[in-house]
Amino acid sequence: MSAVPVTLTDTHHVPPNSARTAVRLALLELRLLAREPAVAVSLIGFPAVTVLVLAGVFGQSPDPEFGGAVPSEHYIVGYLGVVLAALGLITLPVRIATYRELGVTRRFRASGLSAPVMVASEIILGAVLGTVSAAVVLAAGAAVYGISMPEDPLAVFAWFLAGLACFIAIGGALGSLLPNGRAAGAIGNLLFVPIFLLGGGGPPRDVMTSAMASIADVLPLSHIIGGLRHSWLGTTDDPHALWWPVLVAAVALLFAVRTARRRAA
Amino acid sequence: MASVNAAPADGYPDNRARPVVEVRGLEKRYGSSTVVRGISFSVRQGELFGLLGSNGAGKTTTVEILQGLRSADGGSVTVLGLDPQVAGDRLRLLVGAQLQDAALPERMRVGESLGLFASLHPSPRPLDELAEEWQLTHLWRRPFGGLSGGERQRLFVALALVGRPELVFLDELTQNLDPVSRRHTWDVVRRVRDTGTTVVLVTHDVEEAERLCDRIVVMHQGSVVADGTPSAIVSSLGGAATVSFTDPDLDLGDLRDVPGLARVGRRGPLVDVIGSGPILAHVGARLVELGRPPADLRVHQPTLEDRFVDLVKEPSR
Repeated sequence: MSAVPVTLTDTHHVPPNSARTAVRLALLELRLLAREPAVAVSLIGFPAVTVLVLAGVFGQSPDPEFGGAVPSEHYIVGYLGVVLAALGLITLPVRIATYRELGVTRRFRASGLSAPVMVASEIILGAVLGTVSAAVVLAAGAAVYGISMPEDPLAVFAWFLAGLACFIAIGGALGSLLPNGRAAGAIGNLLFVPIFLLGGGGPPRDVMTSAMASIADVLPLSHIIGGLRHSWLGTTDDPHALWWPVLVAAVALLFAVRTARRRAA
Repeated sequence: MASVNAAPADGYPDNRARPVVEVRGLEKRYGSSTVVRGISFSVRQGELFGLLGSNGAGKTTTVEILQGLRSADGGSVTVLGLDPQVAGDRLRLLVGAQLQDAALPERMRVGESLGLFASLHPSPRPLDELAEEWQLTHLWRRPFGGLSGGERQRLFVALALVGRPELVFLDELTQNLDPVSRRHTWDVVRRVRDTGTTVVLVTHDVEEAERLCDRIVVMHQGSVVADGTPSAIVSSLGGAATVSFTDPDLDLGDLRDVPGLARVGRRGPLVDVIGSGPILAHVGARLVELGRPPADLRVHQPTLEDRFVDLVKEPSR
């Protein structure tokens, strides 16, 4: 379509500072989440309880089945990745699909909140939620079982960032694809359980069948958890190629943007 | 299409005002279904413009395209001189919008939503004034999920106006409002127009369109079937009025030469005289002349609703 500009009488409308708006929206969303009791349970209660149970099952002595790691440390570190998977497979898709279903996204867009601002806000929100969940897992695990200092803190940070990017992007892709919040919840849980079990949150890779191990090898969660364990504990030979979750993040982000544009057409 | 360019009433925007919305040959398809069929119209600055049509007529799709929320499949659209497809983000900061079937997060409070949307604009309306105007002051801390349908509508309109827009789209504005709130809302919309803001009102409510709008476009099955002031659209019926009275014994031939008469008929004891001009006065005078003044002489002038029903009965072009 072509536009023939006519007089724009308005001179006081200057586009708002997008970064500030994204932060403001993310902070407001965090405040709203804090009013939601279910969020506290899923973000704090569930990961803390699960890691305490699993880490306690296999004892506190180094075990060859865990690549020589202390089992409790193996699970506590691995759960930093698991909480990111829960965020990207369940929490974010349900939020995004529900907002779209109810017309919240449309309402925000019509009021001048641009798509990049909303995406940036979701990224900030995802980063905060993922970091809080991971901190809860670490704090609970360390308080009950203790944990050694990371061997390579910078690498741990890099793997955690890659995990955040990967699962926030996957969350965006699922949220833009799935029709509503209920479908997002159902599909998210369906995806999360096998990915969680095969991707490092369940049995060690050495006890998996070859078919299970082959599936695990292509899951980005396996690489993220493998990388976290390798850089924190230095005890695993599980696959951990940093480029893989980064590539998945890029593809998922592209998919999310294309799907959102198609929906808006 | 009944295109009517009647002179506007005093004080209303005239044809010389600059167009703030121009739509030419707009088309939109969803899959194999065409929902907007090459429509054209314009909205002039300062006008209270109505887009009237039944559900499914293509009104909401049209205004969503005008706001850059949907893409068009053909034709051209400019809003405030901008192409919504190219400059949608910029445009949405200049216009206000109250959308049909939209929502806010359930736990977002009224005050928080007003504050968030105000922060998008450099010189927003004072929030306390806006809340007062739309009866939201006492709801300031109430979450969106706890608002009634009418309270939600009022909040959405306040959000549409918070940035002092040049142009505001109000889609099914009074849906879910009780009659008192509806009247109040109409008054405020007139006030919004009186401050110079151009208003595009999307509605299926004929009474609302007739009472509020300076000019109306009627849409039916994706096409524009009428365009003009409410009175001009009504007049396009031919101005026929129906005069009715009870007289079981009257010889209808006595009325055949009444000036302006189009036809006369009977429904039992009731006589219907259809005609134009001062038909009521002529029929009354003739009946007095005949020595049969009726006790129940009534006139029914055609309304916009009559015309609207006629228009949407006709197959669309």
